[in-house]
Amino acid sequence: MRKVAIVGGGGTKCGKRDANWRELVQEAGKTMFDNIDNLSPKDVEALLVGAAQPERFTFQVHVAPMVAEHLGITPRKVIATTELMCASGQAAIRYAWACVASGMADVAVAFGVEKMFMPDMSEAQTNMTCVLDREWDGVNAMSAPPFFAMTAQRHMHEFGTTKEQMALVSVKNHHYSTMNPLAQFQKEVTVEKVLQSPMVAPPLNLFDCSGITDGAAGVVLVPAEHAKRYTDTPMHIIGSGQVSIGNAINNLASIAEWVPLRMAVKEACTTAKITLKDIDIAELHDCFTISEILEYEAFGWCEKGEGGKFIEEGEPYVGGKIAVNPRGGLLGSGHPLGATAILQTLDIFQQFRGEVPKGRYVSGAKTAVAHNLSGAANVHSLIIYSRD
Amino acid sequence: MGNKQFEKIRRPENIKLPYMLDFYPLEDEKNTRISKFFENLKEDRFTSTKCKACGKLLWPPRIVCSSCLSDNLEWVDLGVEGELYAFSEMRGGAPLGFAQDLPFCIGLVKIGGLLISARIDNARYEDLKIGEKVKLKIVELEDGRIFYRFQRID
Repeated sequence: MRKVAIVGGGGTKCGKRDANWRELVQEAGKTMFDNIDNLSPKDVEALLVGAAQPERFTFQVHVAPMVAEHLGITPRKVIATTELMCASGQAAIRYAWACVASGMADVAVAFGVEKMFMPDMSEAQTNMTCVLDREWDGVNAMSAPPFFAMTAQRHMHEFGTTKEQMALVSVKNHHYSTMNPLAQFQKEVTVEKVLQSPMVAPPLNLFDCSGITDGAAGVVLVPAEHAKRYTDTPMHIIGSGQVSIGNAINNLASIAEWVPLRMAVKEACTTAKITLKDIDIAELHDCFTISEILEYEAFGWCEKGEGGKFIEEGEPYVGGKIAVNPRGGLLGSGHPLGATAILQTLDIFQQFRGEVPKGRYVSGAKTAVAHNLSGAANVHSLIIYSRD
Repeated sequence: MGNKQFEKIRRPENIKLPYMLDFYPLEDEKNTRISKFFENLKEDRFTSTKCKACGKLLWPPRIVCSSCLSDNLEWVDLGVEGELYAFSEMRGGAPLGFAQDLPFCIGLVKIGGLLISARIDNARYEDLKIGEKVKLKIVELEDGRIFYRFQRID
């Protein structure tokens, strides 16, 4: 297996965009190629496109060839769309990584795109309700907000976590997203503002939830020994873990404790030959405030049930025990499903190169983890990145 | 555009809701091999499949055991009373076809050794408590398909 480097990429501004699906693709694709020296679309041998629900949000399938056509890419080795709902973008990175590591391709693009704003938003809500078992969970209107609301309710019930502690996650991530020009949300929030925002699904208020978002992004993967052709400061994939246990509610491994994530973290650290202490930046999947709290615990930065206290004590801030979501997370930056993991990766790349504003810069960072969950938090996907 | 006139073409304002967008399963024996679940439900029996080879209780009902891959399964009764494990309330953002029901509660119910999701009727969020007993309720669609919910016991 060859060591694989990421040599650059680009992404769109995220949010409610006055642009359609294919225009998001063109915007992100142009930025990606413009940002990388000595790389032409014709050099790309493998194209993986993370897209969660283009067939519902845009009524378009066969989207990887659509992306290829719009960007002048003519893959000769591998082309496919990757779907793993909220982790679709990471699925694209993982396949692109495998293509390059195996020697199947020398230049692979991992791309991600989602156009989620629709003229009738109840159609978008419908799309989000076929993620769990459509006939046995979706039929009960069980989509992400009520599921994570119940996760929060159980965590509050079992461990005494408070709504104020949850709100602090939103405060932190909105703070960092004000320093991220690609982020959907550019305003600070306060605990009071989170608690006073409309109730979506109790106990979750609007600012406990990541937004509906349009966005696209892409990154380029090459063998590490070729990386210097494109940049002096590549970053490397050094490990990963991905665990999937069940899909329907009844078949979850856990509710208020994310066992599959704990397993994936162990696998990722083992394959990367690092310990938790080596991680300087954590881009975690904060689709809801409660998610990030459970993640502090599952990673092992704090004890089970103490995630609320962990944020209260400021530990997940830059300069704390671990910098969690200095990009602004999904809560602050938005969550364009297929593009989310690509945007996380891009931001880690910029962190390593010192290209982010001072207020969210993790000085001297060498190792980072990017995490996505999907479904009812029964699937967790992790990649470990290294500056060296 | 000015005063230009174009031929008007029609975009229907209303179309019949496609079956795949109404969330409810296709229940009869022509469409599924677990139609027995719905037949039992019509008799007020809440059932699922259990593996006769390894003893695993399966949900949703299946035709192959996901634990040992045996196809030797039997129907077992789960009871009609359960315990509320967690719940929330949809206040907005309902999928197509559910907006008229807002607000409504949904929850996780422990019943017969399973943890399943269900609509919780006869309650608002403020009325419910973790651990509360709920009982089976059966609802029927206009086309005759039926489905289960749970409801608060007064």
